[in-house]
Amino acid sequence: MTQSRDIGVIGYGCTDYVKKADRPLLTFLAQAGRDAIASAGLEKSDIDGLALCSFELPPDNAVTVAEQFGLSLSWAYLGTAGGAGPIASVLNAIRAIEAGQATSVLCIAGDAYDVSGLFRLLDNFGRALTSYGSPHGFGGANGLFGIIQRKHMETYGTTREQLGRISVDQRKNAQKNEAALLRGPMTLDDYMNARVIADPIRLYDCVLPCAGAEAVVVSSLDRVPRGKGVRVLSGYEHHNHPPGEISPLRGGWELFRDALYRDAGYGPEDFDLVQAYDDYPIMVAIQLEDLGFCEKGGVGRFLEKNSFTWDGTLPLNTGGGQLSVGQSGAGGGMIGLVEAVRQLRHEAGERQVSNAQRGLVSGYGMVGYGHGLSTSSIVLERS
Amino acid sequence: MTHNDQQYPTPRVDQINSAFVEAWAEGVLRLQVCGACGQETFYPRPLCPHCWSSDLGWTEHDGKATLVSYSLVMRPNHPAFFEETPIILAEIALRDGPTMLARVICDDPTQIRSGLLLELLPAEEGKKYPLPTFRPVL
Ligand SMILES: [Zn+2]
Repeated sequence: MTQSRDIGVIGYGCTDYVKKADRPLLTFLAQAGRDAIASAGLEKSDIDGLALCSFELPPDNAVTVAEQFGLSLSWAYLGTAGGAGPIASVLNAIRAIEAGQATSVLCIAGDAYDVSGLFRLLDNFGRALTSYGSPHGFGGANGLFGIIQRKHMETYGTTREQLGRISVDQRKNAQKNEAALLRGPMTLDDYMNARVIADPIRLYDCVLPCAGAEAVVVSSLDRVPRGKGVRVLSGYEHHNHPPGEISPLRGGWELFRDALYRDAGYGPEDFDLVQAYDDYPIMVAIQLEDLGFCEKGGVGRFLEKNSFTWDGTLPLNTGGGQLSVGQSGAGGGMIGLVEAVRQLRHEAGERQVSNAQRGLVSGYGMVGYGHGLSTSSIVLERS
Repeated sequence: MTHNDQQYPTPRVDQINSAFVEAWAEGVLRLQVCGACGQETFYPRPLCPHCWSSDLGWTEHDGKATLVSYSLVMRPNHPAFFEETPIILAEIALRDGPTMLARVICDDPTQIRSGLLLELLPAEEGKKYPLPTFRPVL
């Protein structure tokens, strides 16, 4: 979908991340939202659209949160695509603004989890897993993505050493990010020898469930000074691809990849940074393939040839990603977007990618019977 | 019932899946078969995902299958499984049928390989597990 070149992200915000929620979910969402509005230079009264992505929000929704927040809205949206939802919410916000339904949309994503909360979530994520996953002792998402990772390793020869480069370099990025929950040093040996969780998945393939929220404001770029707005050049989402496959080695990004780059006018070689959805390194690897950074099955060699730190050959998840910052539920689908905006505004401090002009962000989520059902991607450019 | 006296979680039984759950209590694997398009489906659903017909009946499958891929779960989702790790969680392809997630029982998990032929546990052993459960054909 071609986007209006005059609309984009003009502000961003995030909460601190905590391992155990010490306050209600709504206060996390509000804190991220308030930061984003301030970063855009707007007032609360300027916000007339609200998009929310949060697993724990029901039975509340975008409209009942508007009541809690004291917002008067002409447009409201509740994401349903898990970790792919926040990017989809921004794409939908742009269309709402283009259609005249809103002028400034606040998009917030977050949850207030801890480890036990995540298991409860996965036990009750949908009828299929509750009835046909939990009774097998399936180990939540770790067990499911262990199946996918082994299939990729056996089909294409991908190795744990190769995948480990993602976790290790993201940890280096997290060491430049005070908000990250996991900042201790990690070597490839640490990664290789970590505790087995769901073989071939080990500890440093897994995210730490936590509490936190991320937010952006979508509006006309002329509301902020030059360099503080981030233009959305293109974006797409896709759901339930391929139908009927339990452990696919592709996610759906490959279906819209060509259109995404055609609309943007840029391809994989043009990005100064990539924020890929990193629930597991194997899914980052599959995204890199599906989004055309290498051929399908070739990601192992691609990982060996590149470095992924903020100053590496392909800056990837430059804030540390979910693997090192933590996964705040649906907030995990916006952490990369907020980091990309921070980088493109040249506000990333010690981890700033030099002269960052363009970035690609992608989302993934809504685990059904075996894998994530939803994917999304967005191409951003410094205005 | 397991060693640590925790019950396995069980499927939520409703009118859609009761014939499937009851059959497995006798060691039989039942799949839904669509009266309109003839395709077989796992897991049980209120409508056929291929043609959306609700005219769904049941067919028995002999449980012969191939192990497609698997993980060895050390951190199961429920305490009932804690003393049984690793849980062998597999994607399996039923012969001439759909794929499914299933648990594979094997005393020596190092013998597990993708591509192994699988069969259902015999009824007496199988009924202690809440869902159709398999073993390697050795
Ligand atoms: Zn049918």
